[in-house]
Amino acid sequence: MITSLNRDIMPENWYNVVPDLPEPLAPPRDSKQDISSINLLNKILPKEVLKQEFTFRRYEKIPDEVMEQYEQIGRPTPLIRAKNLEKYLGYRGKIFYKYEGATATGSHKINTAIPQAYYAMKEGVNGVTTETGAGQWGSATALAASLYGLPAQIFMVRISFEQKPLRKTVMNLYNGNVVPSPSTLTEYGRKILKEHPDTPGTLGIGISEAVEYALDHDYRYMVASVMNVSLTHQSVIGQETKKQLEMLGEHADVLIGCVGGGSNFGGFTFPFIPDGDETEIIATTADEVPKFSKGDYKYDLVDSAGVLPQLRMYSLGADFVPPTIYAGGLRYHGASPSLSLLINKGRIKSDEVTESEVKDALRTFANTQGIIAAPESGHAIATAINYVKAHRNESKTIVVNVSGHGMLDLSIFGEKQ
Amino acid sequence: MKNLIPYFTLGYPNNSRLCRFLDILPVEKINYIEFGFPSNDPRYDGPVIRNTHIVGNSNFSDSVYSRYFDYFYRNHIKMYSLSYYSDIKDRFHEFIAYLQKNRFSGIIIPDLIIDYFSEFRRVIEDLNKRGFEYIPFFSPATPDSIIKDVASLTDSWIYYGLQPSTGIEIPYELDYTTERINALLPGREITYGFGIKTDEDIKNLMKNGGSGVAIGTYLVKMIDSGDEKGFVDYINRMRGVLDA
Repeated sequence: MITSLNRDIMPENWYNVVPDLPEPLAPPRDSKQDISSINLLNKILPKEVLKQEFTFRRYEKIPDEVMEQYEQIGRPTPLIRAKNLEKYLGYRGKIFYKYEGATATGSHKINTAIPQAYYAMKEGVNGVTTETGAGQWGSATALAASLYGLPAQIFMVRISFEQKPLRKTVMNLYNGNVVPSPSTLTEYGRKILKEHPDTPGTLGIGISEAVEYALDHDYRYMVASVMNVSLTHQSVIGQETKKQLEMLGEHADVLIGCVGGGSNFGGFTFPFIPDGDETEIIATTADEVPKFSKGDYKYDLVDSAGVLPQLRMYSLGADFVPPTIYAGGLRYHGASPSLSLLINKGRIKSDEVTESEVKDALRTFANTQGIIAAPESGHAIATAINYVKAHRNESKTIVVNVSGHGMLDLSIFGEKQ
Repeated sequence: MKNLIPYFTLGYPNNSRLCRFLDILPVEKINYIEFGFPSNDPRYDGPVIRNTHIVGNSNFSDSVYSRYFDYFYRNHIKMYSLSYYSDIKDRFHEFIAYLQKNRFSGIIIPDLIIDYFSEFRRVIEDLNKRGFEYIPFFSPATPDSIIKDVASLTDSWIYYGLQPSTGIEIPYELDYTTERINALLPGREITYGFGIKTDEDIKNLMKNGGSGVAIGTYLVKMIDSGDEKGFVDYINRMRGVLDA
């Protein structure tokens, strides 16, 4: 590994978009009348993570210890020109992809898991806990916790737990303890199991269980997405991309990423926001979870139990139980407040793609570029392919964030595997 | 002299108890006074102040407080209303006329630039025309460009909430906070509020150029317990901290 070159590409600071938003970000609201769920965050999150969640600092210094671990897990990730895909599509412009699948855990999630576990370790807590959908976040949490010698308790959405046993194996290899959610480990999980014994589970339920577990065991909750701090940590993706484009003498005309809660998307695109409106930015999500087209822009619960503060975001409702779709990471009912605001104001466009479009895009990408992308990332690739088809006569530079690999998601291809 | 601004929600905990505390308030120690008009949806307040709105809503009686408004005016204490735009937007002109009739100097509207962003310019210009102060309310989540833009529409002092809600204790960097707002609005009077707890916080805020502090949640606890002596002592002590 050529360390000096890595450090040329890797940013020294995380970027926080809040000071550069076109309107004030609506503050979180307490979910209950008589207690402050905002104050409760003091017991749930590491202090430094909480401070970063509410900071207005545009740049936050990345601790040296975190920089070292970033290098160890594969940062900077490559920015690759997809020449084969360009040729296949007959596109006159250029397509680049930022490949977060190249990290040790195979997705962008490790970018925020490392600093959160680092700050938790510095506080001397008993361990960390979180929820996971497809298992990418759980894997990242388990590894980050292991790197800092912390136990990790992970609540995995039941349908994913059953459909993706290899993810569970990965988390176990990283010393993580994984249970299907809803579980019997928490009061909230037991309540849900009693009322809905056949529930496939949701990320909202998983979050509620993890938060309850953190409060009961002096653990700290690891924030996968939605909250601003995770998008700030993920800004290493976009900052690296800017630097890599600059080194190539290129400029992004279009940025495309997929949205579950918004962390990979925000991390990838937000560092371009201060540069003005020239770059077109498109957030794509699953047709089955149409939060931007069918959701309301409103205050809503982050978790099903309402322990965490409400956030103003595009939401299909915290009680929304999404279909058991092929892309578990996109099943969340809401999206981060900063991303929601930028979509509401029209700075960022949204797109939805169908399962068949995604599978076709994943096959095309595998056949042309050799990369088997994660189903979630397949949405971004599908939108990019659709964009090229709709702008065939243009010659723009399109950059797509491929947020993870799909080597543990091959079952979505069924009999064609 | 640095500004000490006590906050009271009208009607809380009941009219007679609040009147008693207004009677004993050492007016010579304060500069401005902030009255919260009970809101149906105090969305950006913490649980303590939120509760004062709920209780105050059922108790508030205009006739009880008009003599206090007159009293503070005659004692040269500038009065400011804390009102949510969601409560007053449908009777905005009527409400401002009511405040002006009662000699209020201005209004703080915490939800205006957050929930009614497209209307803030028109509202501020309307207040300017009426000769009524609009006090810009900013928080750490207010973008730099918005702070500059809104502040440029007024000459008044600025209310800067250090926390996302009243009475909340999220860790923050005091020095960096003051440095940022001073850099964005050089020369403006900045009064800090929301979650100010310690004398040391106040000293540091003033040392870094703050023009005053607003105190709300802490007073509620003394009013709740009927601690009149503690209340008077606290106001006197805060005056001393600000003047130190």
